[in-house]
Amino acid sequence: MAGPTTHTFPELPLFDLRLEGQDLEAVAETLRSGWLTMGPRTEAFEAAFAAHLGARHAIALSSCTAALHLAYLAAGVGPGDEVIVPSFTFAATAAAVLYCGARPVFAEIVSREQPSLDPADVAARITPRTKAVCVVHYAGYAAAADVLRELCDAHGVALIEDVAHAPSATLAGRKLGTWGLAGAFSFFSNKVLSIGEGGLLCTDDDEVAAFARSRRSHAMTSGTWDRHTARTDTYDVTGLGYNYRLDEPRAALLLSRLRRLERDVARRRELTARYRALLGEVEGVIVPFDDAQVPTSSCYVQPIMLEAEGRQAGVSASLRERGIQTSIFYPAIHRFSAYRERFPGVSLPITELAARTELTLPFYPHMSESDQDRVVTALAEAVAG
Amino acid sequence: MSAVPKERHQGWRMPLTDIAISEQDVAAVMDCLRSGWLTMGPRTEAFEQALARHVGTPHAVAVSSGTAALHLACLAAGIGPGDEVIVPAFTFVATAAAVRYAGAEPVLCDVLGPGEFNLDPEDVAARITPRTKAVMAVHFCGYPAEVGALRTLCDERGLTLIEDCAQAIGATVDDDGAQAGTVGELGAFSFFSKKQLCVGEGGMVSTADGGMAERVRLLRSHALSSSTWDRHRGHDPAYDIVDVGFNYRMDEPRAALGLSRLARLEADIAVRRRLVRAYRERLAGVAGIELTWDERAVRRGSHFAFPVLLADRDRRDRFRAQLGEQGIQTTWYPALHSFSEYRDRVPAGALPRAREAAERHVALPLSATMHEGAVDVVVEIVRDAVSREG
Repeated sequence: MAGPTTHTFPELPLFDLRLEGQDLEAVAETLRSGWLTMGPRTEAFEAAFAAHLGARHAIALSSCTAALHLAYLAAGVGPGDEVIVPSFTFAATAAAVLYCGARPVFAEIVSREQPSLDPADVAARITPRTKAVCVVHYAGYAAAADVLRELCDAHGVALIEDVAHAPSATLAGRKLGTWGLAGAFSFFSNKVLSIGEGGLLCTDDDEVAAFARSRRSHAMTSGTWDRHTARTDTYDVTGLGYNYRLDEPRAALLLSRLRRLERDVARRRELTARYRALLGEVEGVIVPFDDAQVPTSSCYVQPIMLEAEGRQAGVSASLRERGIQTSIFYPAIHRFSAYRERFPGVSLPITELAARTELTLPFYPHMSESDQDRVVTALAEAVAG
Repeated sequence: MSAVPKERHQGWRMPLTDIAISEQDVAAVMDCLRSGWLTMGPRTEAFEQALARHVGTPHAVAVSSGTAALHLACLAAGIGPGDEVIVPAFTFVATAAAVRYAGAEPVLCDVLGPGEFNLDPEDVAARITPRTKAVMAVHFCGYPAEVGALRTLCDERGLTLIEDCAQAIGATVDDDGAQAGTVGELGAFSFFSKKQLCVGEGGMVSTADGGMAERVRLLRSHALSSSTWDRHRGHDPAYDIVDVGFNYRMDEPRAALGLSRLARLEADIAVRRRLVRAYRERLAGVAGIELTWDERAVRRGSHFAFPVLLADRDRRDRFRAQLGEQGIQTTWYPALHSFSEYRDRVPAGALPRAREAAERHVALPLSATMHEGAVDVVVEIVRDAVSREG
């Protein structure tokens, strides 16, 4: 087995997940029940998450990628259509557009200080073929979903929110994910609410909800649980569906962890405020977003931008030598070979600069203050060196 | 032993399927959760290696579901827009859906007969066109398809053979013990919660082709040139995206559960086979009930489900209703061309054997937690139900 022994684990990893006894108990109890496919625990989690968001519907799915795919399909995205997406995001935001046979149109972020989708640039890219706009709440900070909502409404296109980073975050007092036609959440293992693999689509639209529920399980008119509980006997298949189901052990873990979400996010905000104060003193480093945005953010990760270009790989390597793991959130999608081949000639100078200078630092709710100090000191030395 | 949890039975005296998770399984998942590492990593690698050994395939790639496995198998086989793939009309809908995800056209094909639900190689041969790229052989209910004949046919016509082993892990396809999933270029397995090896949601692709295995690995995680686990272990944080990939990853808790349960798979299949033989002995000669397949298929099969035939659809439906009243849960699998989504793809009256098999069969309770005494209970109720039909 390719084992850990041949590699170096970072002393301070990018993320570090700690589950509690009650989380383990919830999963153990589910396993012992012998019912593993979507059933009562998935329903209970969906109800709890919908209530948490203040959304009419929450549909648990296998991943955020699956949620984005179903959100685009529900918005009517198909061959020949365009969906405007940021390039400064994980590739799934754009890949899910390609699954629908449509074309992702990449739009700019505002600046390195505000690396969220720029509504003015989005407006300039709307064409008669535009079917939807997907806004990403990068790092857990609210993008201009309110402005984008107005813009989308004015043009009759759907707004989809990629809320992978931002459970429990708000804009104007309203939960992110509830501003558009649908919101797509991620429960991947490094996320704020993490279980391994998982996702969720939320919506206030009954038709979108019915569509997502149908397509997540092969467009079958009844599920295994329905048949088991004798609610129904057989089924029809009424469209091209997928297996985008979550299972019961993961739903149980989510339900257990959801109870601590607000507390975890509160701790993330405290630590972020402290990180920002320390990082603000480091020469040559831009700390994106404003302090005033922290209290409404989910504070998923701590990004920084190196003022100077050409330092990203060196600073990252220098931190790695000191036992500190960093990552790039994100390389620009339009610069990946798969996208350069399909969509040549895309130029987004601000996104490209951000992608060339961004580093994401270790961050998790139980991070100690001394570890934060250690990261910031090492970063200052690496940038100065 | 404590009472059976209510989820498993829901008032059924005899549920269709049932699984028992052992304390060892629970401990394996708890260890994984305590480790804090939940995304694809060492447990997934260990599960894959154990699966590869078990099935006898050089490469096993764990994925999120059997559907994902079929999709990635199609892509690894180079299936794309304009291509046709021959699939049985009598299968779970994912077999055909996966072909459509790849942009290709599923061509529905008939099965051998109402009592043998698998692809008819002669009908497959008749449906090959210049656009045919592959044949998807389904080992339905765990009974091996005629992959020997299909292999020869595919070789002669230059087609890829993909085995849909979603219901057939552990089935053998010949007297030498070669397993389902090792005859085609690619095999797709499911670890859905009703399956012989279940983890909740999960799947696997098997292949002897290193290039195809690499392609499946790449596409299951967004065609990223390095994984979260690689980067955690100190690899460079930079990565490229080299194709349009998916999130079809399995996670570590499911891999831990699968690895723990794999150790009991053979014993569980042996129990299932023993129960099937008990059913067959007791049902042989019962007027109104027709057994499916034969002793050779029983020996080779891995027994996902135990289907028998009634005379026609009406008798089957009445029979199921009577069993249901007695607390015996049964099911039946519709043929693809009976669904709204596929009805218009074939002419009226086409694929008669698949339709007949779908309309006449009923699957009786079967699981590795059942005892032979339970078979007696079911058989008695079955006898009573058919005798009332006269």
